[in-house]
Amino acid sequence: MISVKHLSKVYNNAGKELTVLRDVNCEISKGEVISVIGPSGTGKSTFLRCLNRLEEPSGGQIEIDGVDILDRNADVNRLRRKMGMVFQNFNLFEHLTILDNITLCPQTLLGQSREAAEARALELLQLVGLREKAGSLPGELSGGQKQRAAIARCLAMNPEIILFDEPTSALDPTMVSEVLAVIRHLAGQGMTMAIVSHEMEFVRSVSTRVFFMYDGVIYEEGTPEQIFEHPQRPATVAFINKIRTLEFKLADQGFDLYGMFGRIETFCNKYGLGDKLFLRLQHVVEETLTGIIPFSGPVHLSVDYSEKSYKLVLTFIQEGATESILDKLPEDHLPIQLVRGFCSSLTEPAPGQLVVEL
Amino acid sequence: MRVFPALFLTLSVLAASCTGARTDFVPQGPEELAGHTVAVAANSSIDLALSKNGDIDLLRIGIGELAVAVRSGRAEFAMMQEIQFDANHLREMGLRKCFTGFMKGNAAVAVRQEDTVLCSRFNAFLREFIASGERDQWIRDWSSNPDSMAVARSRIPASTEGETIVNGITLTYPFIFMKDEQLAGLEIDLMERFCRWGGYRADYQIVDFPALIPALNTGKVDALVSHIQVTPERAKQVLFSEPYFEGSICCFGRDPEAAASPRKGLVQTVRDSVYANLIMEQHWKLLLQGLLVTLEISLFSILLSILLGAGFCFLRMRRSPALSRTVKLFAETVQGIPVLVVLMIMCYVIFAKSHISGTLVAIFSFALFYGARFCELFRSGMLSVGRGQWEAGAALGLSKFQTFRLVALPQAFRRIIPVFKGEIVALIKSTSIVGYVAVMDLTCASNVIRARTFDAFFPLILVSVIYILLSRLSARALNALERKVNSKK
Repeated sequence: MISVKHLSKVYNNAGKELTVLRDVNCEISKGEVISVIGPSGTGKSTFLRCLNRLEEPSGGQIEIDGVDILDRNADVNRLRRKMGMVFQNFNLFEHLTILDNITLCPQTLLGQSREAAEARALELLQLVGLREKAGSLPGELSGGQKQRAAIARCLAMNPEIILFDEPTSALDPTMVSEVLAVIRHLAGQGMTMAIVSHEMEFVRSVSTRVFFMYDGVIYEEGTPEQIFEHPQRPATVAFINKIRTLEFKLADQGFDLYGMFGRIETFCNKYGLGDKLFLRLQHVVEETLTGIIPFSGPVHLSVDYSEKSYKLVLTFIQEGATESILDKLPEDHLPIQLVRGFCSSLTEPAPGQLVVEL
Repeated sequence: MRVFPALFLTLSVLAASCTGARTDFVPQGPEELAGHTVAVAANSSIDLALSKNGDIDLLRIGIGELAVAVRSGRAEFAMMQEIQFDANHLREMGLRKCFTGFMKGNAAVAVRQEDTVLCSRFNAFLREFIASGERDQWIRDWSSNPDSMAVARSRIPASTEGETIVNGITLTYPFIFMKDEQLAGLEIDLMERFCRWGGYRADYQIVDFPALIPALNTGKVDALVSHIQVTPERAKQVLFSEPYFEGSICCFGRDPEAAASPRKGLVQTVRDSVYANLIMEQHWKLLLQGLLVTLEISLFSILLSILLGAGFCFLRMRRSPALSRTVKLFAETVQGIPVLVVLMIMCYVIFAKSHISGTLVAIFSFALFYGARFCELFRSGMLSVGRGQWEAGAALGLSKFQTFRLVALPQAFRRIIPVFKGEIVALIKSTSIVGYVAVMDLTCASNVIRARTFDAFFPLILVSVIYILLSRLSARALNALERKVNSKK
């Protein structure tokens, strides 16, 4: 149904070029529910907005049912009637009642009579559970209700696919589930959808396929099971496990230990790691850097914390190391003893690479 | 609406009490005027003469306002042509002569300096007019009873053949005044006689006294017949004929006896005012015509200014920054000029040489000025419509124009209508300045009546009430529109 090849998007902001999409390739078939996930700023929304040309792609090709929609002569307005879009901020027409929001376009664009459009609108409102709000203005509705009304407005145009651009991001947590329930219902009825979302549980249960976007490309794609249970590539793994990372590069032994501790403390506070864990972390870092690492060249340190499994992992990499560090040191080397006392495991999977799990 | 009668009564009482102030001092010569307030026509030869005596407190006002100023107490005395009032008339108005013969006021016809042919033709006529003794008769007739003279002269058919001379005139009784909706008076009579003699056709345009010479020099009118006194300064700008009238300037003051005469009751005062200002000489027709002109100018200015404003706004919101900046600069420039000055520039500079009517010039001026204001107002309205609304429209398949019409415009309109209402009312009220370009609107009509009846209060209060009603009605109409827009579901 939709085929995207080498799609790119470069924003040109006051002479500065910002590449959001580098090279996106994908196929979406009828009846699929595609979820697009990934860290912020990786072009998920831009990708979705390129599909109905709310953003003009800078390059590449998008074909819908074999028609190149980036062609100059393509009738964009006609194309958009077939593709519904649900926005993060609902974007209901503020001056119209919910009913008129839904009937405006079917009457204007599809030539439906007022009666027919209203009858259909009421049906759709029933579907999303808002029939009694037909006469209300958008301002009188809660966020969740607004988003359900926006979905009904989309459906009134009988779209072949609906694009959901972070439909629950602007909602109060208590209202997320009512919107997701409606989307889930639509998925159950076989509606083709592309959803950009941060609701991982929802994505996992509703999607037929998941696109993980990273750095302007579809970095990894697969069934929800493949992506969530067995992610293959490092960025996907980090994202799925919600790994937060703090990195240092130390040129030599004259590094600023206390500056480092300050940053580590901030990091710990940010993710709620607690004082005890912070103190242990601090000891491990100090002992390892002063007693174990030889500093035969620059050293990289990364602190990774998974918000999913609550695991904290420290990785020290001694640049240019050719042989094992731990093997060279005696078994009763005091710093090693101390580090072992503070952590659950200390390993050296490759020469010069120490991994400490706390 | 209930406040109007109360307001009217308050002001009427004020009017009645002001005219009752007393003064017993009667100056016998100009030197005795020192320390007193004296009303003179601004820039007249009397103004120049009296200015030399620094002790006189001069009130420089329009020539038609002089008697009103004395009656209302703004000035103690006024210097006017003696011919303006006969004894009966003076008593009626509560004025008296103090001294006369202070100086001669030589009135002459003014034409453009290159118009020597017209000037010499008029001089030829004048010499015959004087030699035959007709001129003295003419002055006697008009001094004794201007009103019956006006009726008598109006029966003589005007010359309708020949080249048209457009005369710039200012209404001052009895030189030029409105009698039964027609222009009449000493000078109108003079011009008609000249036209019959010389085979011309006369046309008249009422112009504010200070605007007479600019109107002549920009070609709006061909001759000024408006009791203009010959002064060396003026002679540098225009070509004067020989004087047709040598009136004597007289000092008028309030008559304490007339002022002390038994006070009329309030009802009687109001009744007399209504009679004098509306019924007598069918002045109400003049007001009605003025009202229609005000409505005409207001209505077309509003429509045109909305169109212009929308056009400017459209250009302003284009992607092209050069175009946007140009429009912005233009709008700011127009708005930086007082609307009166815009009107004068349009009339005496931009449309000076074209013979379009003053009403059209006024409509263009207001449309331009308010169009510039509406441009920014509309723009702020459009900017208040969020990008999301446009995107939602686009995503549903609406074209840009459809989104504008169905989504953005109704929302923008709702946001600006409270301000817009105020602007419309302001526009209607600001049309009251069109008298400056010789358009007889409501305000100007009231001035004409004031110049005739020398009543300082009634015409002003009456037009105020009419303007208030107009403002209220237009605000109500817009309120109804606002309700309609808001309740549209």
